[in-house]
Amino acid sequence: MSQGFRQSQAMLHTWSGLLLGWVLFLVFVAGTIAFGREALNRWMRPELPRVEQPLAVLDGAQRFLQAKAPDAKIWFITMANERSPGATVFWQPQPKDGEPRGRGGRGRRDTQALIDANGDASTARDTRGGDFFYRFHFDLHYMPVIWARWLVGVATLMMLVAILSGIVTHKKIFRDFFTLRRGKGQRSWLDGHNATAVLALPFHLMITYTGLVTLMALLMPWAVIANYSDEAAFSKTVFPQVEAVERAGQPATLVRLSTVVRDAERRLGGPAGYVEVAEAGDSAQRISVTRAAASMLNTRPPRVTYDGTTGALLWQSPPPGGAAVTAGAMIGLHAGRFADPVARWIYFLCGVAGSVMVASGLVLWTVKRREKLPDPARPYLGFRLVERLNIAFVAGFPLGSAAMLWANRLLPTDMAERAAWEVHGLFIVWGAATIAGFVQTPKRAWTWQLALTGGLLALLPIFNIVATARGLPATVMASDLALASVDLVLLLLGIGYLAVARRVARHRPMASRMRADRAQTAAEPRRMALEPAE
Amino acid sequence: MRRGDVVLRALAALPIGYAVASLWAMALARILPGGPSEATITATLIAFVIAAAAAMWSFAASSGVRAVAVLLLLGGIAAAISWAAAGPLVAA
Repeated sequence: MSQGFRQSQAMLHTWSGLLLGWVLFLVFVAGTIAFGREALNRWMRPELPRVEQPLAVLDGAQRFLQAKAPDAKIWFITMANERSPGATVFWQPQPKDGEPRGRGGRGRRDTQALIDANGDASTARDTRGGDFFYRFHFDLHYMPVIWARWLVGVATLMMLVAILSGIVTHKKIFRDFFTLRRGKGQRSWLDGHNATAVLALPFHLMITYTGLVTLMALLMPWAVIANYSDEAAFSKTVFPQVEAVERAGQPATLVRLSTVVRDAERRLGGPAGYVEVAEAGDSAQRISVTRAAASMLNTRPPRVTYDGTTGALLWQSPPPGGAAVTAGAMIGLHAGRFADPVARWIYFLCGVAGSVMVASGLVLWTVKRREKLPDPARPYLGFRLVERLNIAFVAGFPLGSAAMLWANRLLPTDMAERAAWEVHGLFIVWGAATIAGFVQTPKRAWTWQLALTGGLLALLPIFNIVATARGLPATVMASDLALASVDLVLLLLGIGYLAVARRVARHRPMASRMRADRAQTAAEPRRMALEPAE
Repeated sequence: MRRGDVVLRALAALPIGYAVASLWAMALARILPGGPSEATITATLIAFVIAAAAAMWSFAASSGVRAVAVLLLLGGIAAAISWAAAGPLVAA
């Protein structure tokens, strides 16, 4: 590969990595946490019993909806399974005169509920659970989701460019993988950045490219626009649905949903994921059952629709074309819903490597340039900005996340807007950490934030043992490996952060190390201290 | 590298590169086999690779001017193919 090409890609790599690197760090960290979101959903509601019989929960959901929203336009039920806290239900009321559709659904709090393992409406603490991190990693927070997805989308494209240019630029990519020089300042940071990048390179390439695919409707709508004058026609082909029904105005009893779902699971070839009931209680009622996305790679699973009064099969989704399956499988690879516990651990560890890759790249930028500063005590504005943003994001965001988990434990369970306040807690702590990162000396800011993050994370499992029924001994005895894993990961991460914080606290910059050694050499001329040349 | 040159390359990489990828998405959506919905999806998947390649080319090209010129040319070719296949770029 020519020298010129490699060098040109080096500059591209630095800038495409740096400019939105802080956004990428958030996406990687939140996305990595999101691989464990189901476990976190349960961990953050320790009061809830484990789901044993998903169909019994469905019966409870039907009872609940028939009592609470008997003539809603649509009911949506997400089936419970052993890994979820229960069945989430939401409904859309009938539209009032003049409105095109009823106001309801996932966004509103008064048209949704959680049905627990016993089939009752849950009274567990209100929380967004692990799903917060999942949503955050593409919707961010406190901003319209379209803006967030554009920002994340552009950052992801830059990430893809950074990975590809990084591969081109890296001369001895395989030999260097086995190189990790410790305690050598810039070289060590480079080795760490390279190792975490190359170690999980197939994962990083896959997750970045498939991340773009998940946002393709927003980021690259042009192919649709070229071929379809009406975007709905394209949606109908790719997401086929049975025709919508008009309410007939004649009351009719809904068949038992669990019976229909049993038949549907047979036809779909796997467990059910979602159940939708349109116009419940009316003679035109219909039940649609979609296969669980977790049971297959393609995230656009097949669907069947039944008559809600008789239980007769009305419609089955047609088999999708090759390109549609490919796109669905790519999204499936990104989300990893199909992953069993072993595969999920691999996803998680690769995500951790990716987060370390992004963080070490950001820090490397400052380490490299610090040595070339004309006046190290007064760096130029760009350098100061990068240095402080690194603290704010790389240290501040994990600290905020740890604080949010503590808010989940400590906020009163009957508090109004409790779920929203858990999230506010994250941002309040993150904000404070950011301010400290700009005001204090970098070393001090890094040290206390990393140490506090470590302490908060490591103490959570202890708190669980003392104050909840789901501490490690209890969950291990009950073979509840999902909850036990969360506590274990928190403990290990906490210890890891404390170790890093100690390293930072003890760090002496290269320049002052060399000055100290030279002073020692001058005082003892007979002992020759060798400092390796950088 | 001179600042003006880098600015041109950055323009080539992101806004122009994205536009070129979008134009090729439109062209491929019209000429790939398999029916409109299949070709549309395939074209969209390929477009991201084109966008990344355009960004890499913007920095590998011998000058910023050359980067912009080549990308504009490739975009023009895509637009021409799109138009030849089915008329106005935005489906009527």
